[in-house]
Amino acid sequence: MKRILMIGLMASVFQLGCTTTTGRVLDIGEETQLQKRTYESRIFDTADKEKVLRATISTLQDLGFVIDRADFVLGTVSGTKYERYQIKVTVSVRPKGNGRLMVRANAQFNVEPIADPEQYQDFFSSLEKSLFLVAHEAD
Amino acid sequence: MTKKFTILVVTILVIGCSTLPHHAFLVTPEMLAQRQLETRRYDGIKEDDLLLACANLLQDLGFQLESSEPRLGVLTVNKQRSATNASEIIASVILAMLTGKPTPYSKDQSIRAALVVSPVYGSNGTASSDSYYVRITVQRLVRRTDNSVYVETLRDPKLYEGFYEKLSKSVFIEAQKI
Repeated sequence: MKRILMIGLMASVFQLGCTTTTGRVLDIGEETQLQKRTYESRIFDTADKEKVLRATISTLQDLGFVIDRADFVLGTVSGTKYERYQIKVTVSVRPKGNGRLMVRANAQFNVEPIADPEQYQDFFSSLEKSLFLVAHEAD
Repeated sequence: MTKKFTILVVTILVIGCSTLPHHAFLVTPEMLAQRQLETRRYDGIKEDDLLLACANLLQDLGFQLESSEPRLGVLTVNKQRSATNASEIIASVILAMLTGKPTPYSKDQSIRAALVVSPVYGSNGTASSDSYYVRITVQRLVRRTDNSVYVETLRDPKLYEGFYEKLSKSVFIEAQKI
């Protein structure tokens, strides 16, 4: 009896362990994918991808990030900020049709994803100032 | 009393380390002052030539190239170096003698830098083809003797002055095709 109980306990511990890892890899949370995308993205009324990417790089540098890598074709920029903490961010810029571009950012603070819409709002408002353009909420 | 104080300090440190600042993504006036320090303008040179001069200088300084995207004027580099310094070791020995416990000190470090070349925009919003800004930002990750790690962004004005002094020479050499 004791043995069966032990095996059952071990099995459930392993089961729980697996679920947690999968959950972490897929970042399964209370938010839906759409909710996340909405606060992580903005639309800019310009088709100049290079200008937006350069402004993104300059904004990240202003914010104290050191650029890790940038890719014009993929339209991505990644950076890391080291203070008493670590923030990592990846920004992607892609065409949205009708001369518009969609900018999306996702960031992590130490070992947690940043899920506060206000932080993303701050980032886009910093980017707006660098671009002299207004950011619109994604459709 | 001392114990309570220690607990308080530790708690503050832990909270300080684990909380994301409220406006981490808003540019502050201090950040703009830092930009001035990290940026220099170069006139009368093409972007590719300037980027080449920068890449050559970074190699002169012993950096390894990590990634590059010339289309966006980005170079990222790193190097591993010793982080030991005499004053820290002496302080650590004195502290160890007083407390009877070994005190860790800085052992080695990984220095990372990102260099970005960007065009100067005219008043009509068009990018110049022979005036560019160069901005370099540097951070380091230091490992102590007990394998603990601390990270920091380097903000010493002398570091940036020294770098740009060398870059001006490198740009001159590139322009003269020496």
